[in-house]
Amino acid sequence: MPREIAFHGLYMPTVTVLFLIAAVLAWALDRVLSGLDLYRFFWHPALLRLSLFTCIFGALALTIYR
Amino acid sequence: MLTWLKSLEWRREFNGWARSDGVTWIYIFKVLIAAFLTYWVALRLELPQPRTAMITVFIVMQPQSGHVFAKSFYRFIGTLIGSAVMVLLMALFPQNSELFLASLSIWLGICAAGAARYRNFRAYGFVLAGYTAAMTGLPALAHPDSSFMAAVWRVMEISLGIVCSTLVSAVILPQTSSAAMRNALYQRFGVFARFVVDGLRGINEQATVESGNVRFIADAIGLEGLRAVTVFEDPHMRRRNGRLNRLNSEFMAITTRFNALHQLLERLRSREPQNLVTAIEPGLDTLAQLLEDFAGRALTNADAALLAERLAAYKADFPERVRSLRARLMETSPSDGDLLDFHTAYELLYRFVDDLHDYAQTHASLADHNHAREKWDEPFIPKTNWMAAAASGIRAAFIVALLGAYWIATAWPSGAIMTLVSAATVALSTTTPNPRRLSFQMACGTFLGAILGFIETFFVFPLIDGFPLLCLALTPVFILGAFQVSRPQWAGYGLGLLIFFGIGSVPDNLTVYNPYVFINEYIGMVIGMLICAAAGAIILPPNSRWMWRRLEDDLRRQIPFAISAPLRGLGSRFESSTRDLMHQAYGLSAGQTQVQRNLLRWMFVVLEIGHAIIELRREQSVLPVHPCYAESQPWRQAIRAMGRSLMRLFIQPDASNLERSLSAVDHAITCVQNTDEPFARHFDTSALRRVQSYLHFIRTSLLDPQSPLAAYAPQPQPQGLVHAS
Repeated sequence: MPREIAFHGLYMPTVTVLFLIAAVLAWALDRVLSGLDLYRFFWHPALLRLSLFTCIFGALALTIYR
Repeated sequence: MLTWLKSLEWRREFNGWARSDGVTWIYIFKVLIAAFLTYWVALRLELPQPRTAMITVFIVMQPQSGHVFAKSFYRFIGTLIGSAVMVLLMALFPQNSELFLASLSIWLGICAAGAARYRNFRAYGFVLAGYTAAMTGLPALAHPDSSFMAAVWRVMEISLGIVCSTLVSAVILPQTSSAAMRNALYQRFGVFARFVVDGLRGINEQATVESGNVRFIADAIGLEGLRAVTVFEDPHMRRRNGRLNRLNSEFMAITTRFNALHQLLERLRSREPQNLVTAIEPGLDTLAQLLEDFAGRALTNADAALLAERLAAYKADFPERVRSLRARLMETSPSDGDLLDFHTAYELLYRFVDDLHDYAQTHASLADHNHAREKWDEPFIPKTNWMAAAASGIRAAFIVALLGAYWIATAWPSGAIMTLVSAATVALSTTTPNPRRLSFQMACGTFLGAILGFIETFFVFPLIDGFPLLCLALTPVFILGAFQVSRPQWAGYGLGLLIFFGIGSVPDNLTVYNPYVFINEYIGMVIGMLICAAAGAIILPPNSRWMWRRLEDDLRRQIPFAISAPLRGLGSRFESSTRDLMHQAYGLSAGQTQVQRNLLRWMFVVLEIGHAIIELRREQSVLPVHPCYAESQPWRQAIRAMGRSLMRLFIQPDASNLERSLSAVDHAITCVQNTDEPFARHFDTSALRRVQSYLHFIRTSLLDPQSPLAAYAPQPQPQGLVHAS
């Protein structure tokens, strides 16, 4: 994957786009988890959400910087 | 053993501290972490204005994480809109700063009006949309070509601040809004149950009734605010959103019901002879005993289930008990009026118990993840007076136009920052009931920030080296500011100190030492804020007589609303908008006890009569098909006529309108009495008897000597001299 994407003449790093994609994915995952009421099994839901987001974003970013 | 005791005491002290001051210190600690994290990342990424990112943290950080999320969300949206508008204005008037300033002040006025119209977190989006345009536009006015990049950078900086502060507040020692809300919900019922028990036993003073009601109104509005915020925070609460909405709506309904019942009982108790009261009281006592177990303590979900069970049993016995009490009353051969009072009291009591049962069931249902009670489409409807919104819009537009004109006329180099700061201050102060006080507090905070900033910039920063030492040097100021922000009465000082210390004295990557510009800019800021404070006191101040009058008028106009609005969801709409109006009026008339009492008395009348009217309308909409219930029946026509006369009375209260309303109500009661019903006139089967009870209740409310309508009531002793002549 290219490390930079041109958007109407504005160069931006691909990770910025991936950040947004990861946010959308994490949001969808959050909806699923809360819909099934799975958060009651966790001690710190907010920390879990942050960690999941970090995992998703990290995994996506690995496809570029590896 | 001794050591164990000692450790116990120590621990109790510590827990007490952790629940009170500890929360504040955790908050301050989180503000510091979020601010320095943001600052470090911003410096590291070489953003042009790291301080903007850091100021975002100060503005967004709140003790509870739900508030942080909501505020961040609206701040982001507001910033995007504000930046877009600024770029648009810049593209339209690149060469002409007069036109630019004029349209900017109009835009600020629109945003300030919007912020005053939507008073919760949505208001914050408006505030931001307004002052972001000023913040990015005014410095870029000299070189319009850089304005687009300035807007882009600002959005970046604010996003960074938002990300860091939401992260810190959610992850490090989170104080969730959902926990606060649950706590408020549980406590509220305990207080209410105590209020009801005392009210049923007739030991509440008038002052207690008033303060209790003010508290329940504030609770209902506060809980609505928390509910709107927890949606951002917690999926667990999001699943219960409909039920929480419903719970609040049902709570408002039971407080109104109880007030109606209580007023009726008070009227009966103050009247001689007491035989009617002795006939009614046994029924009240059993309910008071039932609620006594729940009074004064938090109602958990399990308790609510227990309460629902007991109320169901109470309801099942109710008709039997009423019949026996009625039989006993009949032995004393009461008058028609007394019998009507008895029926009305028990009708109101039955409805109250019924609503209380609903409330308990909804509360108990919060324990489940999915529940049938979740389906609820009667949201809380806030209501704002458009004049109040227009007043703050006009004030904002006027201030910015004035200071902008001064800036252009004098070409003072610090005029830009003065205009900018006044725009920010006026926007921030629109959401408070007392804009003058907030602006003045912010000016004082800024002055303190200027002194501290001068010391830091010219005596401390030259001596230190490296980021950790910079953080250490900034920490005392931030601790002071964050501490003030956490105390509501000093919030303005803290806000001024943090924001404007940040704007003026936090170094960028390239530090500039220029005492002349530094001092000039702070002078500009303080002057800008002082002018905002003066304008808040002079230009249409919301906390003054004209505004109370308006709100009192709006409060009365809730009656025409209850009579003429479509019936679907009307109950919640009426209850919530009346309370919202009352809450605003109460905030705006802070310190004026006479005005507040008057408003409260109007609210009681409006709620009682409005509620009775809605019940009458509901009763009429579900009547069975039978000739005696037809639309053309005299009793239905009489009720419609009564509705029209009540509308007139509440739009323009005076003696002749009151007299007309009273005779219309009397006429309606007579018509209902003269209508034959196919069913026995039993308490639980006869629609007409319920209708009659509500009509009688409206009549007693209109005649209540406590109500503000009493001023227009016909004098009991005729003034013979005037008539004789």
